[in-house]
Amino acid sequence: MATTENGPGALEPRPAPPKEQRFSLNAIQELEEIASHYPERKAACLPALWIAQREYGGYLTPAAIQEVADRLGMSYAEVEGVATFYTMYNLRPRGRHHLEVCTCLTCAVMGAYDVVHELERALGIEVGGTTRDGEFTLSEVECLDYCGAATVVQVGDRYFTHVTADNVLNLIEELRQSEEYTPVKLADAIVKLHLPGSSQTGGGSRTGEQIRNNELY
Amino acid sequence: MSQFRLTQTPPSLNPPSDRMVRVKINGIEVEVPNGENIIESAKRVGVDIPYFCYHPRLSRGEAANCRMCLVDVYMPRKNPDGTETLAKMPKPQTACTLPAAQGMVIETESEQVVRDRKGILEFLLINHPLDCPICDRGGECPLQNNTIFYGPPTSRYIEEKRHFPKAYPLSEYVVFDRERCIHCARCTRFADDISGDAQLAFLKRGADMEVGTFAQTAYRSKFSGNVIELCPVGALLSRTYRFKARPWDLHTQKSICSRCSNGCNVKFDYRLEQLLRVNARVNEEVNEEWTCDRGKFGHDYVSAPDRLKTPLLKRDGEFVPISWTEALDRIVEQLRQAGSNVGGIGGQRCTNEDNFVFQKLFREVLGSNHIDSRLGRYQGPVNRPLFERFGYHGMGNRIADLENMKTLFVFGSELVDEQPIIFLRVRKAWRFKGASVVNAVTRVEEETTKVADFAEVNLIYRPGTEMALLLALAHVILHEKLLPKNASTSALAQRVGDWTPARAAAETGVAAEDIVRAAHLLVNGPMAILVGRAITEHPEFEALVEVLGDLVVATGNQGNLNIPGTECNTQGAMDMGVLPDVGPGYRPIDPPGMNTHRMLEAAASGQLPVLWIVGAKLVENYHDADLARRALENCPFVIVNELRLTETARMADLVLPAASVAEKDGTYTSCERRVQRIHKAFDISPDIKPDWLIFTEVAAMLGGTPYFSPRDILRDIAATVPMYAGISFRSLGDAGIRWEYPAGDA
Ligand code: SF4
Ligand code: SF4
Ligand code: FES
Ligand code: FES
Repeated sequence: MATTENGPGALEPRPAPPKEQRFSLNAIQELEEIASHYPERKAACLPALWIAQREYGGYLTPAAIQEVADRLGMSYAEVEGVATFYTMYNLRPRGRHHLEVCTCLTCAVMGAYDVVHELERALGIEVGGTTRDGEFTLSEVECLDYCGAATVVQVGDRYFTHVTADNVLNLIEELRQSEEYTPVKLADAIVKLHLPGSSQTGGGSRTGEQIRNNELY
Repeated sequence: MSQFRLTQTPPSLNPPSDRMVRVKINGIEVEVPNGENIIESAKRVGVDIPYFCYHPRLSRGEAANCRMCLVDVYMPRKNPDGTETLAKMPKPQTACTLPAAQGMVIETESEQVVRDRKGILEFLLINHPLDCPICDRGGECPLQNNTIFYGPPTSRYIEEKRHFPKAYPLSEYVVFDRERCIHCARCTRFADDISGDAQLAFLKRGADMEVGTFAQTAYRSKFSGNVIELCPVGALLSRTYRFKARPWDLHTQKSICSRCSNGCNVKFDYRLEQLLRVNARVNEEVNEEWTCDRGKFGHDYVSAPDRLKTPLLKRDGEFVPISWTEALDRIVEQLRQAGSNVGGIGGQRCTNEDNFVFQKLFREVLGSNHIDSRLGRYQGPVNRPLFERFGYHGMGNRIADLENMKTLFVFGSELVDEQPIIFLRVRKAWRFKGASVVNAVTRVEEETTKVADFAEVNLIYRPGTEMALLLALAHVILHEKLLPKNASTSALAQRVGDWTPARAAAETGVAAEDIVRAAHLLVNGPMAILVGRAITEHPEFEALVEVLGDLVVATGNQGNLNIPGTECNTQGAMDMGVLPDVGPGYRPIDPPGMNTHRMLEAAASGQLPVLWIVGAKLVENYHDADLARRALENCPFVIVNELRLTETARMADLVLPAASVAEKDGTYTSCERRVQRIHKAFDISPDIKPDWLIFTEVAAMLGGTPYFSPRDILRDIAATVPMYAGISFRSLGDAGIRWEYPAGDA
């Protein structure tokens, strides 16, 4: 190898990560079904990454990217390019519940930042952080297209509406009680969306009545 | 096995139509092919449209992202009353993606375009570090140039720019300065379109976007150096050239790469007798504008500190430096004693001029026909097996012809290592022209640039079973009647016997279906065969070539069987007659002299008093290394012309310091028989001599007529070798001349 003034160290290219095969039989069937919808296998890249995100426990490791690339006959770099382009693919582990608080215009007017600050205080983390126990990750996101029910917080495949600094702790409590691992659940819901017979994703929306009554789940 | 498969791209590189249309560019009317890219049309009329991401050899897939090439466009529009008016497109368009159409009017200097270009450059410079004083690209940088001519004089950006570590070592040869990248996607498209290893991609997005490899692994490509030249800024830099010089301090000399037989046209950039970098020169027929990494970075031997700078004589087992006068006296004394019983080996890496004088010294002055440039296993009559049957030695096709084949059969070759530029043509044929590739090799390496990534069928056979594989392919072709009735299949039919795919599958380890699939592709002509080292070094070489010959005859592809040479002047050494059985121009010699192997045997048994080895690494590379060693030990006087003290040179009695490709004038003949000129760049030491000068001095001392310059020698070559008639330094020009066999000779 030619030498550079940098010498060996953090800047040197890394060795190739080990390969894994974590797609279950069911996952492989799903992938083949989805791939069969397109003239080229690589067109199935996005759903394949969702399958991988589910199979690899909620985030895409280098091995997950390699597995997707190998299964679709794409180059590793190309799949990594796709995976890093879209923000909904997780490249690092997230908390068991990923709290995505909308701080776009309407929600901001309706006190979204109070919600964010309350969450930061209660969880002891900053936006972008994950709690030590791995339960919660907190993010700010742009408009979730549910402005009529501001402030909106998305957790996995579910929307929580009319969230305020006062009621957000209830939400936290409720999530703590639940058994779900929401990044995986979200990934699964999105995969299902690509399969025949399913037409919608999400944990369902509330009726107008529920919304008016400021009911959470 | 191959991990990924890029798709074939429809032929977007060429103008899509022969129909001509009239367009008007800045008021100048011009006829251009329908659909031609407007940047190219503008070049025709001398209008300069600035650009960064556009590149004529790369697909437009991800491109049109720099926005530098904006122009105003007007199209004729029919009014309801039948009259025509010119309608302006509401926004400027990117000329690099704009296909020429009848009546199109282009303005490149309108007030809006001028202002937009300034805006684009201001954006591009927002995050650009502008560290031109320490940038290798400074002085030859498209970003600098476009900014001077089209950019704003000042910047309004006062915020912090984005920062990255300055020199990320991307590959063995390339460092990457991400701060300077303008995201033109040339490097990523190169990896997809040309080299095909697809290891570079854009990661992340928006302001965070960067070029990278998967998981920060090293960029491993056999062609990584090209991205340095492609990058329109100083983001991709050569590890060996970085900080070595300012471009305006470099001297440049045109040359030909000395590292393989493909004959890439290159420029040697040097300063103070140091070769600092090798860049490609455009030759559409040969390397287009690419080089492989071996060529680009493998010339460090030229300026290596351990170059030999004086003749060395072995006294009591130790080398002592001696003067040239003494060295020549010694040689002459030994040669006089030996008479015609002397042997000469080598010359594949010397120029035609060196080789011509080499054989002339042996044949005409010393009276010996024991001279051979070949180091491979096959050392039989040179006219067998190809010339006698098809009328050529080596390659039947031009390198450029390969891209027009429908099917390419790569047989027993690590093509990318053995013939890098032929590899790129084969890939181009596949990627842009829809060719199918059949690849028969003994193993496929992981993670490198390789044919297996795009071959339609990979036949991975057990070493030694080449014949069975070949006969099974022929069997399928004949028994499934894949050829038209009038095909001349008789020769093939006699051979195939009962080599059914099933039987061959058991023998070769290749699946029978794959053999059948491959056979079906091979009849889809025009088809060309490229044969590699596994065949040329095969004990059954001649028999295999016979069958391959029958195959091209049967499928109607006469002249498409190619056995390219290995070294930069393998072909030229043969043309010049550095062979035991033929002289210059393949004139038969009777009686033939000893070939390399027999010379070594004679030397090993003490029967050859003088052996002269010219730039051949026998001990290192000869297939019977033990024989080579014994020969050098037992031969009383071994002379070696070398650049450095190789293992072979170490065993010599007299080592002569020879000039490298950068230190001499002359010509090489590439594997496709293209005679190309090398130009002397510099002298490293006054005591280093080009090989021809050494030979001519010895010849003169023994009573031969001396030559005074390579030009002088080439004149003699042109007069003696029929195929080189008319070739001179002047007539070769920059592109070289591919010689043809004189009519009626074949
Ligand atoms: S590194 Fe150079 S060639 Fe590659 S995208 Fe950036 S500017 Fe373009
Ligand atoms: S392909 Fe051959 S001639 Fe071209 S740069 Fe590489 S080694 Fe040199
Ligand atoms: S602004 Fe929050 S959902 Fe639209
Ligand atoms: S050259 Fe046209 S957009 Fe870059």
